[in-house]
Order: sequence, then C-alpha cells, then structure tokens
Amino acid sequence: MSSLFDDLRHSRRSAILDEWLSALRAGAPQHTDAPASMLARSDTEAQALYDAILDALIEHQPADSRSTAAKDTPVNLTALLRQWSAEPARQGLSPAQPISGLLALKRILLRELIASPDSSRDTELPWLEQLFDSLALLTFETFGETRERMIAAQSLSLMELSTPVLRLWHRILLLPLVGVIDTQRARQITERLLEAIVQHEARVSILDLTGVPIIDTSVAQHLMKTIDATRLLGTRTVMTGISPEGAQTLTKLGIRFGDVISRATLRAGIAEALLMVDRRIAPVEARRATGGA
Amino acid sequence: MRIPILRLDRILLVSIQIDLSDNDAMEFQSDLVERVAEIEATGVAIDITALDVVDSYMARVINDTASMVRLLGAEVVICGVQPFVALTLIEMGRDLLGADCAFNLGQGLEILKQRIAERGDIRFTEDEND
Repeated sequence: MSSLFDDLRHSRRSAILDEWLSALRAGAPQHTDAPASMLARSDTEAQALYDAILDALIEHQPADSRSTAAKDTPVNLTALLRQWSAEPARQGLSPAQPISGLLALKRILLRELIASPDSSRDTELPWLEQLFDSLALLTFETFGETRERMIAAQSLSLMELSTPVLRLWHRILLLPLVGVIDTQRARQITERLLEAIVQHEARVSILDLTGVPIIDTSVAQHLMKTIDATRLLGTRTVMTGISPEGAQTLTKLGIRFGDVISRATLRAGIAEALLMVDRRIAPVEARRATGGA
Repeated sequence: MRIPILRLDRILLVSIQIDLSDNDAMEFQSDLVERVAEIEATGVAIDITALDVVDSYMARVINDTASMVRLLGAEVVICGVQPFVALTLIEMGRDLLGADCAFNLGQGLEILKQRIAERGDIRFTEDEND
C-alpha cells in the first residue's frame, strides 16, 4: 500500500482539493451568469470524484508493476465520472472541459508523486498513468454518447414537427413537406396522410414540395407510393412546388409521374383542389350583392 | 443555336427547326422550364413543323421537355408533326408523347386553350383581376 496516496486521500486532502478546485475554476469557461448553486454542485461533485479516484488509486493498485492487465474501473467511480462528463455535454460545452479538468488533477498528483521522497515511484507512476488514461477515455466516451443521445432526441422531435397534415378546406388536405425525405420519413408521411384522409373524408390532398431541397430517385419513388396509396382511398392528389431544376432532374432520371396532376405553385394547386370539390374563391362584394338582393 | 421562346399571354411558343445537339437540347430545356416557372405559364406549344426527320434522340428530347413542363403545371401540345415523321416514329415503335398532338399551330392553340379553361388556377387569375 502506498503511503503517499493514503496521505493525499486523508491528511492532505483539503489542500490538494483546493488547488484542484481553483484550477478547475480557472479553466472553466467564463460564464459570469452561472448561478451560485451550480458552482456549489460542481464543487461537491469534484470532491466526490477526487475521493473516488484516490480510493481507486489506493485499493486497486496492481501488486506487480509490470502487470498491464487493465483492471475494471470501480463502479462508483465510473458513475461519478459519467455524471462529470455528461453534464457539460448537456450544456453544450466543449469536450475539452471535463477532460482538461481531469488532467489538471493528474498534473497535481504527478507533481506530488515526483516530489515525494518515497522510493516506490516505479510502481506508482505507471499505475497513475494507466488509471488516468482509462478515466480520460471513459470521459470522452460518455461525452460522445450523451451528445449522440441528444442529437437522436432532437431529430425525433424535428421529425414530429416537420410532417403536419393541415385541413385546408372542407375535404381538402394540405401536406407541406419540408426538409430531406428519407425512407423512414416517407413512410411516416404516408401513414399520417392516409389517417388524415380517412378522418376528414378528404377528396383532394395537396403535396407541397417547395421545402424539399433535393428530389432524387428515392424521394420520387416514395412520393409515387404515397400518391398511389391515396388513390386507393379514392382521393386525388395534386403535387405543387417542384422547382424548374427539380423538374429537369426528375425527367432526366427517367421518372414519370404519369397522370399525377402537378402545379408550379401552391396557389395554383389550391385552385385546382378547390375546382375538384366544386368550390371557388369569390370576392366578398359579389357575395353581398347576391345575398342582399 | 438558341431556340427563341415566344410568349403569348400565359402560353409559350417554341419552334424547333433544326436537329439539336446534346448541348442545344440541354440549353433549350433549361431555358424553357425557367421561363415556364417565371411567368407561371399555363400552356406550352412545341412546334416541329420544320422538322422533316425526327430520330429517336429528338423524340426523347421532345418527350422529356414535355414531362418537365407538365411537372411545372403547364399543359403541353406538340404541333406540326409531318406525315412522314409520324410514320417513322410509329415504325420505330416510339410513342412520341403522352401529350396531345395537333396538325398545325392553330389547332394546337385551340387544344391548349380548351384544356386551360378546364383548369382551376385560371379561375384564381380571374378573381385577382376583379
């Protein structure tokens, strides 16, 4: 057992910890509006992490200095470190922040180790390196995982947002498509549209593609499937908002939309849809005149 | 050679009088679709009276142009297919178009106007002009 690590864990704990905490504050991004409660929490977090790291250094030190067999990091340390790394990831800070904090502690401990008169450095130095290497790795992994989870959650909510089916008029539905259409989204679009058609007993649905940046073979195929499905429900579909470039690309790709009605603008599409349900938009004056007469 | 695109209110007229090279065809197609989108054309008449020979390449160019224009929401009519041209096209087994064909420009415009009158968006224009 190392007397130095014991020393650092107990008798000189507060001195080393203070040094680390001030190093952390110096390295932390300068958000002056950070509430005091957040600083206090990160202090207690750092204290717990410090204790856990030193416990691991003391208790899990391999007896043989040459044994490089990686020992499992203690569970409580892993949990603490995950929290340590996940918090900055959630706040959108850079991954350097939790890792540099960890490395600051490593520097302090290394300095102490080298300054100590104890002659057991040969075993302690590699052990310290090894532990901190694995901790840094874990920190980075956790950071990446947290970010990835955030991105997945965001893209899910974006998808929810981006496929609304609007009831434009009695028996007319409008489906404004925005963004890139992939297989999964295409299926979701079709499902929603079909549900809405059944629910509102729609006669016409308008597919507006103004917000779709790229129309390629797969997007076109998805659209054709959607349109075919709506036809099976007995409704007609009007496509609107294809750009001149989009029209050229689709034709050059050899995609034929056949007898699907297509209009350049949403405005023209709405007019077409209104015609299909025998409606028209008329000036208010004319209405008043006929109604008042 | 650039093919001139003539405008007759919201109808566009193009007359193809020579065989188009690859580049000419591309240029012609993009010119036409840009113009269709720009003025929100309701109809396009493609006149090929002056073509004595239509090979499979030209047939495809005309075909593609018609689908592009239709995707942009305008009606298309092909005018002035010569008897000999019609014969060769049938023999090549190529269906020239899903689009309507007319013997001359006058009949083509008649067909266009008739189809445009059946459309919904023309009513919007009437409303706006009120």
